[in-house]
Amino acid sequence: MKSLTDVVSGAGLSVYAEVALVIFLIAFLGIVVSMFVPGRRRMYEHLRRLPIDGDDAALPLYRESEDSSLRSE
Amino acid sequence: MTGPKSTTTGREPARYEPPAPHTIAPTPNALLDSFSYDDDIVRKFLIATFVWGLVGMLVGLVVAVQLANPAMNVAPFLTFGRLRPLHTNAVIFAFAGNAFFTGAYYSTQRLLKTRMFSDGLSRFHFWGWQAIIVSAAITLPLGFTQAKEYAELEWPIDIAIAVVWVAFAVNFFGTIARRRERHLYVALWFYIASIVTVAILHIFNNLSIPAGPFKSYSIYAGVQDAFMQWWYGHNAVAFFLTTPFLGMMYYFLPKAAERPVFSYKLSILHFWTIVFMYIWAGPHHLHYTALPEWASTLGMLFSVMLWMPSWGGMVNGLLTLRGAWHKVVEEPVLKFFVVAITAYGMATFEGPMLSIKSVNALAHYTDWIIAHVHTGALGWNGFLTFGMIYWLLPRLFQAPLYSKKLAEAHFWVATFGILLYVVAIYSAGVTQGLMWRAFDETGRLAYPDFVETVMKLMPMYWMRAAGGTLYIVGMLLFGYNILMTWRRRPASYEVPVIQAPRLTKEYIGGNGHVTPAPAGVWARFVAMDWHRAWERLPVTFTVLTAVAVIVASLFEILPTFLIRSNVPTIASVKPYTPLELAGRDVYIAEGCFNCHSQMIRPFRHETERYGEYSKPGEFVYDHPFLWGSRRIGPDLAREGGRYPNLWHVRHMEDPRAITQKSIMPAYPHLLKDPLDFAGIQRRVDVMAMLGVPYGDAVNRAPEMARAQADSLAKAVEGEGGPKGLQDKQIIALVAYLQRLGRDIKAPQVARSTP
Repeated sequence: MKSLTDVVSGAGLSVYAEVALVIFLIAFLGIVVSMFVPGRRRMYEHLRRLPIDGDDAALPLYRESEDSSLRSE
Repeated sequence: MTGPKSTTTGREPARYEPPAPHTIAPTPNALLDSFSYDDDIVRKFLIATFVWGLVGMLVGLVVAVQLANPAMNVAPFLTFGRLRPLHTNAVIFAFAGNAFFTGAYYSTQRLLKTRMFSDGLSRFHFWGWQAIIVSAAITLPLGFTQAKEYAELEWPIDIAIAVVWVAFAVNFFGTIARRRERHLYVALWFYIASIVTVAILHIFNNLSIPAGPFKSYSIYAGVQDAFMQWWYGHNAVAFFLTTPFLGMMYYFLPKAAERPVFSYKLSILHFWTIVFMYIWAGPHHLHYTALPEWASTLGMLFSVMLWMPSWGGMVNGLLTLRGAWHKVVEEPVLKFFVVAITAYGMATFEGPMLSIKSVNALAHYTDWIIAHVHTGALGWNGFLTFGMIYWLLPRLFQAPLYSKKLAEAHFWVATFGILLYVVAIYSAGVTQGLMWRAFDETGRLAYPDFVETVMKLMPMYWMRAAGGTLYIVGMLLFGYNILMTWRRRPASYEVPVIQAPRLTKEYIGGNGHVTPAPAGVWARFVAMDWHRAWERLPVTFTVLTAVAVIVASLFEILPTFLIRSNVPTIASVKPYTPLELAGRDVYIAEGCFNCHSQMIRPFRHETERYGEYSKPGEFVYDHPFLWGSRRIGPDLAREGGRYPNLWHVRHMEDPRAITQKSIMPAYPHLLKDPLDFAGIQRRVDVMAMLGVPYGDAVNRAPEMARAQADSLAKAVEGEGGPKGLQDKQIIALVAYLQRLGRDIKAPQVARSTP
């Protein structure tokens, strides 16, 4: 009785490793190319600002004696 | 406290353009939801981060001192072999884990403009995770271990980890589904990749068959087990210590610097490159071992390529501070972040370098790896966590930070501590590596006595302990600052009510016009909206990330399982006898594998010192594999027959009676503790279930073990040793040690055991 190992060992599958690598590379390049598709500037700019367009309250972060410059205005 | 926008405008940089129209209420008649964030859970995780961090680092200091002075191994359950896994698990899963949850729970709610999906799941996640940590802290010193690095915890705890992790995932993805912000910021991508990949890694590496409530055997053996373990081990570094913290960097660094990330496109590239490449790199932990060479070369290539995205990310982080460097002088939070990102850069340069085979030949098994890990752990994970928590403290406890000066002091003390630690242990690694491979002018090993190479490291071990102490002093300052800030909290926390519009089905274009999403994939593709469409559906995104990870894993790992030529069998290699198997379990329980490798690499300086190099076929019955990753003591792959039985008995009882300068803990209790013969049957049965050809032993393992133990105990007695050892644990351990590497040795040495 042949085990799965025997079947796979004899199947000559090594070429598929290279095929997989090429598919991987193509998928990756696809992602890279898609990043540079024009017309995304606004969305990227929006995303870029997401963390700092936030909802933080203006709390005193340091005690007054130690707060040298952060709230200069 | 008012709505989200009112408080931040005063702090925006001058050249700020108004946000793209779809971030603010898109249409006048859109419904505004009112909600609040769950910061209570963030406070809980923050405290847990500090407490477990301190515990994990203190255990680290204890094991560091134990290496410098073996007298510090004060009790059987507090030896180096049992405490070292406790240290690594505590700092990785308890300290860094809770830090990740702190950062994720804070930032996810704000980036998605919604409360966590379920407060109940959040609490379950918190208390479940802490219970897992406590159970680890109890079971590891008791010697319950799977013997796989960073996956030591036994099967019941593994199941608990899986359950809690799934609860976290449900909570996280539920939050995404309820979000009020259409686009997922890149930090969330990093969190998603971490959650999905850690689940996959954890489940597949821990597959095992229980042989008792706290004992199991890995379903994989030898080379395959090693491959799975380092696929797991490396990617635990990637998806537990790197991607979650990168996500936190991409959120908290812009917050603290009060400016957006340098390049959003670069952050996307950073993310995808890491997801596509990291998963392949694991085999670099197994260079020159019995792993097939193609796998090791593949691991090296991908590791070297990883240098690029890592440094891309580092540059992206550091350049986020462009124009804000003056703030670094003033702001301890930014100081911590700058050193954290720099440490990330150093560790991700060193990693690819160490993965190059010729460098690895010197560095593997030495302290160089320990130095590398601590650059990452103390610098990157530690400092990013400290910076984040100092930033969070006034916000979460709604009181000014108790002392900025103490925070500055923490920064400098800890930085100096890292330098002392890393410089000492880096030089220890290179020194020992060079001594192992040195030959004298007659072509013999220059330092044939292993302990000589250990003695050389003692000054550096003390210097390491000093560096670690400084880092812990920093932790204490940190804790005091947390405590005092917490004491100044208001009587009850103010819970700001946030308002944000609900997500609509339509797409609000850049010009403010509301357009329905184009129907059909092709139409969306042509309209250049497909990228956004896939982000709106994190299910698709998650599946894609998982596929990238799983496909890479399968293509790398499966050939070792399914293609016979990768693990050639050796006819003379036989299963361990029942007594030897019991001895192997003593070896595992005592954590011997933390200091002794069982893998001789094909170098002349190794074969001269330890004997014939190890072959893949020798390990086919090793569930789990015990190759080890650090040689604090000599390799034991060919230990069998090297010394008399009595030597081993005396050596375990008091190593310094045999080797005066040895730093090995003493194990006198092994000469007194009884061996559980009846329990051996179940272990043999599980091994047989895993395909180990045990033949007759499946019916009468205890009898066979007793017979071998009796004859071995007589042999010890005949050599002039103590009487009555036949039912003690030491006999099983000696039987195992005397078996190691014997199967392919020429049979001219008479076996002392049947």
